[in-house]
Amino acid sequence: MSIELADIAYRYTDAVALDGIDLSIQSGELLALLGPSGCGKTTLLRVIAGLEFPDRGTVRFEGRDVTRVAARKRHVGFVFQHYALFNHLTVFENVAFGLRVRHWWKRPRRAELKRRVGELLDLVQLGAHAQRYPAQLSGGQRQRVALARALAVEPEILLLDEPFGALDARVRGDLRRWLRGLHDRIHVTSVFVTHDQEEAFDLADRIAVMNHGRIEQLADPQTLYTHPASPFVCRFLGDVNELPPALHARWTGSREADAIAFVRPHDLELTPTYSAAVGAVVEAVRDLGATVRIEARHAALAAPLVAVYERGRFDAADIRPGQLVDVAARRWVIFPRDA
Amino acid sequence: MSPARKPSTALRDPAWLRILLLAVALAFVALFLVLPLIAVFSYAFEKGVETFVASITDSDARAAIRLTLLVAVISVPANTIFGVAAAWLITRFRFAGKNLLISLIDLPFAVSPVIAGLIYVLLFGAQGWLGPWLADHHVKIIYAVPGIVLATTFVTFPFVARELIPLMQAQGSEQEEAALTLGAGGWSMFWRVVLPKIGWGLAYGVILCNARAIGEFGAVSVVSGHIRGLTNTMPLHVEILYNEYNRTAAFAVASLLALLALATLVLKQVVAWRMRRAAPESEAA
Repeated sequence: MSIELADIAYRYTDAVALDGIDLSIQSGELLALLGPSGCGKTTLLRVIAGLEFPDRGTVRFEGRDVTRVAARKRHVGFVFQHYALFNHLTVFENVAFGLRVRHWWKRPRRAELKRRVGELLDLVQLGAHAQRYPAQLSGGQRQRVALARALAVEPEILLLDEPFGALDARVRGDLRRWLRGLHDRIHVTSVFVTHDQEEAFDLADRIAVMNHGRIEQLADPQTLYTHPASPFVCRFLGDVNELPPALHARWTGSREADAIAFVRPHDLELTPTYSAAVGAVVEAVRDLGATVRIEARHAALAAPLVAVYERGRFDAADIRPGQLVDVAARRWVIFPRDA
Repeated sequence: MSPARKPSTALRDPAWLRILLLAVALAFVALFLVLPLIAVFSYAFEKGVETFVASITDSDARAAIRLTLLVAVISVPANTIFGVAAAWLITRFRFAGKNLLISLIDLPFAVSPVIAGLIYVLLFGAQGWLGPWLADHHVKIIYAVPGIVLATTFVTFPFVARELIPLMQAQGSEQEEAALTLGAGGWSMFWRVVLPKIGWGLAYGVILCNARAIGEFGAVSVVSGHIRGLTNTMPLHVEILYNEYNRTAAFAVASLLALLALATLVLKQVVAWRMRRAAPESEAA
C-alpha cells in the first residue's frame, strides 16, 4: 500500500515538529526517516500511524484520504521504540491481542487464532517461548514479539520507531539483516525511524534525511552519499572535512571565494611534500586495525584534517607524525559557505 | 530489578544508638497504637461475651452497621469510577483547567470534614439554598441517608484518584497506543490493557477509600441528625452510647470498627506487597 503525505505540518505547544512535509512512499518499499533527535522523524511516523493528527496537510493510503481516520481503523502495524509489550500477557497473548480485540464477527475461531499466532511466532523464531512473559525475554526477543504482534493484524503498512535503538551492537546487526530478509519475503510497505546513518544505509531502499521538521533530501543510499543535497546531509552522513578555497582551489578548480569543499576522510589524499606553503603537518597516526586514521593540522583550519587509509594504502604512503603533507581529494562536493 | 541492599556500613550508627532509637519508636507505637487497641477490646469484653454479643446485636446497633455498610457500598464504587475516570483524564489528556482539577481532587483532604458536612447542610438543609425546593418535592437529604452518603463520598473523594494518578503517570501511555494501533476500541483497551496495569494500585486506593468511608465521623455527624435506628452510622452510634455512659456497648461497637481497621491493614499490606512484585516487571519491559 502506498503512502502519500502532502504539506504535513505539526506543532507542539512550544516547538514546530513538522514544517510542510511532502513525501510519497511506494508500495512495498522500505524507507528510512533519518535525522538527529528532535528533527520531527518520530512525530512524522506517529502522524502516519494516526497517533497524532497533523495541524495541516493530508495523509493518503493508496490514494484514500485517511488524515482524520483514527489509529485503530488504519490497519497500520506499529513497533514502538521500547516495544510497549503488554507485561501482564504471555508472548502468545501479546501476539494474539490484535485478533482478540476484533468484533466477534471478524474474530478468528480459536483453532484458527492458535494457528496464526503459532505461524507468526515461528516467523520471529519465538515458537518455544509462547508461554513466557515479556519480563523473561531478552531485548532482541522482545523486539521480535513486538514485531510479531504488529504483523498479526496483517497490516499493509509497518511502522517502526527506532527499532534497534535499545539493543546492544551485535544483536542490532543480526536483527537488522533478519528484518531486511523478512521484508523481502512479505513485502509490506515499511517506514522506520533512526538516527543511525549506518542502520539506514544497511536496511533502507530509500532514505529521507530530516532536519528541523523538513525533509532535506530523499534518495537511495548511494545517491545520498555521493550527491548530498546540502551541507547538513553531508555532515550528518558521517565524518567530513570542510576545506576552504585556499586548500582546494588547485584541484577543484573552483574560483568562488566562499566555496567549501566537503571531503570524506577516506577520500582525502595526503602526500609528503617539502613546500610549507600549502602543506599540513601530520599530528597523529592511529592504527585501527583494518584502517589507519591520520590527523593533520593546517594553519587555515580550526579543526584538524582527518584522513582514513586502508592498511595497504597506508603502508605504501609513508606517512609519519611531524611530516609535512600536501592535501588533495579523490572525491568532493562543493557548497557555498554557510549554506 | 536491583536486589534490596543493606544500608552501607559507613552510615550505620553505633549499637547503643540504634537500640535507643528502636526502643523509643517501639515505646511510642505501644503507647499510642497498641495500648488503645488493647483497651478497646478489654472494655468491650469487660462484662463478658454475652454483653458484648448483646451490644452488637441490639436493633439500633444492627441498624447502624447496616447503614454504615450501605454508605460504603454506594460511596466506594462511586469514588472508584470517578477516581479512574479522573486519573485517566489527567494523565492522558492535555486540557485547560487540568491543574485546577488536580487541586479540586485534593480539596477534601485540605478541608475539615466538619466543614464538608456543613457545606451540605447549607446547600440542602431546611434553611439552605435548595432546601425549600427540596421540601416542596418531598426530598429529604439532610438528616437522612442521602446526606450521609453525600458527605461520605465527599470526604473519601481523593483516595482512588490520588493513588492512580502517579501510577498512571509513571506507566506512560505507550501500551495504550500499542493497543490502539492493533485495533482495540476504548472498552477493550480499558479491560485488557489499562485495568490489568493499574489493578493493584486501584485495589490499594479502594481499600483506603473503604476504610475511610466506614470510619468517617465528622462530616457524617453534621448531616446525620443522630436519629437512632435511622441515620446513625457505626462511629456515631459509638459516640451516642458513650455519652449515655454505656461504656461496654460503646466499646463493643468500637471493637468492630477496630477489627475492620486491622483487616484493612492486613489487606493493604498484601496489596502493597503484590504491587511491589508487579512493579519490576513493568519497568523491565
